[in-house]
Amino acid sequence: MPDEVAKRVLVVDDAALVRLYYRTALERAGFEVAEALNGVEALEHVLAERFDLLVVDVNMPQMDGLSFLRTLRAKNLPLSSIPALVTSTESAPRRIAEANAAGANFYIVKPLRAETLVQYASLFCGARHG
Amino acid sequence: MDELLTQFLIESRELVDKAGEDLLALEKAHDAKRFEDAFRAFHTLKGGAGIVEFGAMQEALHCAEDALAAARAESRPVSALEIGNCLACLDQVAEWLATIEQSGAIPQNADAGDIVALFARGAATPSTAGAAPSAAADAWVDTLLGAHSDTASEAQTAVRYTPAADCFFRHEDPLALIAGLPGLLAVDVEPRSPWPTLADLDPFSCNLTITALLATSSVEVAAALGGESGRAEIEAVAGRALPLDAESLASAAAEILEAQLRLLDSADTAFQQGRVASVGLVAANVLRYVGRSLESDNVATAAAMAIAEGRVAPLVQAIAAALNAAPPEGVAETGRRKEAAQTIRVAAERIDALVRLTGELIVAKNSLGHSVKLAEAEDSDLAVALKNQHAALERLVTELQRAVVGMRVLPLRVAFRRFPRLIRELSAELDKSATLAISGEDTEADKTIVEAIVEPLVHLLRNALDHGVEDGATRAAAGKPAMATIRLRAAREGEHVVIEVADDGAGIDVAAVRRAASERSLKPREAIAAMSDEEALDLIFMPGFSTAKTVTHLSGRGVGMDAVRTAVARLGGAVAIRTTVGQGTAVRVTLPFSVLVTQVMTVEAGGQLFGIPLDAVVETLRVEKERIFPVGAAHAIVLRDRTIPLVRLADVLGNRAKDRADDSGPIVIAQLDGQLGAVQVESIGERMEIILKPLDGLLSGMPGLAGSALLGDGGVLLVLDLAEVVQ
Repeated sequence: MPDEVAKRVLVVDDAALVRLYYRTALERAGFEVAEALNGVEALEHVLAERFDLLVVDVNMPQMDGLSFLRTLRAKNLPLSSIPALVTSTESAPRRIAEANAAGANFYIVKPLRAETLVQYASLFCGARHG
Repeated sequence: MDELLTQFLIESRELVDKAGEDLLALEKAHDAKRFEDAFRAFHTLKGGAGIVEFGAMQEALHCAEDALAAARAESRPVSALEIGNCLACLDQVAEWLATIEQSGAIPQNADAGDIVALFARGAATPSTAGAAPSAAADAWVDTLLGAHSDTASEAQTAVRYTPAADCFFRHEDPLALIAGLPGLLAVDVEPRSPWPTLADLDPFSCNLTITALLATSSVEVAAALGGESGRAEIEAVAGRALPLDAESLASAAAEILEAQLRLLDSADTAFQQGRVASVGLVAANVLRYVGRSLESDNVATAAAMAIAEGRVAPLVQAIAAALNAAPPEGVAETGRRKEAAQTIRVAAERIDALVRLTGELIVAKNSLGHSVKLAEAEDSDLAVALKNQHAALERLVTELQRAVVGMRVLPLRVAFRRFPRLIRELSAELDKSATLAISGEDTEADKTIVEAIVEPLVHLLRNALDHGVEDGATRAAAGKPAMATIRLRAAREGEHVVIEVADDGAGIDVAAVRRAASERSLKPREAIAAMSDEEALDLIFMPGFSTAKTVTHLSGRGVGMDAVRTAVARLGGAVAIRTTVGQGTAVRVTLPFSVLVTQVMTVEAGGQLFGIPLDAVVETLRVEKERIFPVGAAHAIVLRDRTIPLVRLADVLGNRAKDRADDSGPIVIAQLDGQLGAVQVESIGERMEIILKPLDGLLSGMPGLAGSALLGDGGVLLVLDLAEVVQ
């Protein structure tokens, strides 16, 4: 059964380069991608549009990734249930536990290769593209 | 130049300028905001370098970031030296960026060695000096894994070997060296710097970088490289996120599912709909993606149930079931999945249900014993057959019971975990020096016991330190080591778990115990004088007893050893104490291994059947009416020269059968809060194993009742708490 609707991913990262890298890889694989520079922008996006997956950086100005997730998870269903993949350069178990407690579904230590991102995104969205 | 590299240049240049400004401002005066900005700029620069796979730049920036992180961790301003190093790092980065702009490619010969060395020299502590083999500087490893995805899953180690330029003159063969490494999976050979034109080529200089993937550990690889390992970067790669083929896809799916289960583990305490729903969504999506749509649907349904019921259990079960199910055909079973199948997560309430059901099965088994008796009167053949069946059932049920009890056990380590810290804090507070030696912490006991024993043990440890261990001067005078030792020992003894708290302190002066008990009028003076030392020592378990000269902050606040004994007795255990003056005191707590089954003796009083827990019963006897004599308003008997207070159970329960002469009924001698008591009943029945159910509802407040149990014939047996009854 083919998925008619393309899966939508919101990439939340303050680094333009990272956003571009992720966007290119995901779009090539058939995902629709939106970008947010920080937690505040990400909240605006998820309130306005439907997303199937959030790819969230931790360290960002204004509102960091974990504060964003905590805010999101406290909202009503179904908004609060969007799966979230957290990526960060921090690999300490404490950091990972913090992210999980904030509402991350999975934590990947950067650098995250394009192929890996696409495959994890496909698993998280449950749909094959291309 | 591709779009990515262009974007990288634009962003990196901005960041280099920004970070430079911030650093210069910081050199003049410390400013927290500026510092954070600078830190973030370095961090983002490093991230960008990672994306375009510019390892040297990552490595250099990582050093700078580490230096700044160290300053932040120590809450101090960045030193002038560190600022200088960071600026040098930015200069190097700017130089590389210029090269990229000119050549349109990342310089292959870029080397972060100078910058790393700079920071290594300047670093105040080894923790920041060791930054060179940074986790972020190994983008080459990912490249290598990506290029050899067919063998990547077996790889444990990646090596990047840069032979000396003049190695050929030393009769070295770099490629042969790498090719000879054990467990070699893949080799890549690349030029270190772009090949010059043929005219400029120096064929005797080695311009190669050799990278390899190996199925052996990094230690073995380093050993095999020998003297050349200094020229090689050796990275462990096991567990790295790999691009996924069919096999690794299945294991990635399992990994994600396991992560979701772990998330639910912590979500139960603070149930948050969003978190639970997202877990359900992820698990269902992952399963659908790997083609297991039936399980995916199950998980989705379970998630909806979990949200509706406000508890995670249904979702946990559904995900665990999917994880433990056989993988679909064609997918090789990975080690991770095998591991998952060996332990199954089961919600605690399911085990409790199993315990309850096993309890009821035991009751049903007991009722079969009842039927056997009935059958004996009717048909002896049938009775024999039934008896055999009953015996077989009995054996099976006993095994089942043991297995079920085994599911609920925890190591005592769980209870002992906080004690070392407790002793440390208490010794500081009491100004005594003591160490805690724990042994047998792997001894297992029922969850209920492990959880409930913590409080009594805390009390015993406090007592040991507060009352047992002497002050420094006294210990020195007695020739004891200044550091006292408190031993906490646990061991399994048959169906019991024994925990002992022993100190090497002053011991208990029995004379002082007698004096204190007399002063507090805990017992008549003569009775105390008549006691054996052993009995007198037992007085410390009486409510209101304390020999502490001063009331310390910690103990002696009215709750004494009596609280310990009560708590332990509630678990079906007993407390005993032994002491040697000058050498120390040991308190021994004996607990049942399991709380599943209670042995009771049935007695009849006032025409009604009651149960008395067997572990309280010392003996049963009959005495002539004449040997029961009045003491004030009460009665007592003399047994082996000891006076034991006597109550008639029917009197106490207020349902004495008027027309029954029960003065000659049998007497149960029981251990009640450390003293003997005699309880007269009308008759004594059989011993039986019952599942003691705590009273709830209207009966929960009833004094004197320990609980109830179902009998074989379907009747209900009320089990008495004799200590309360006699009071």
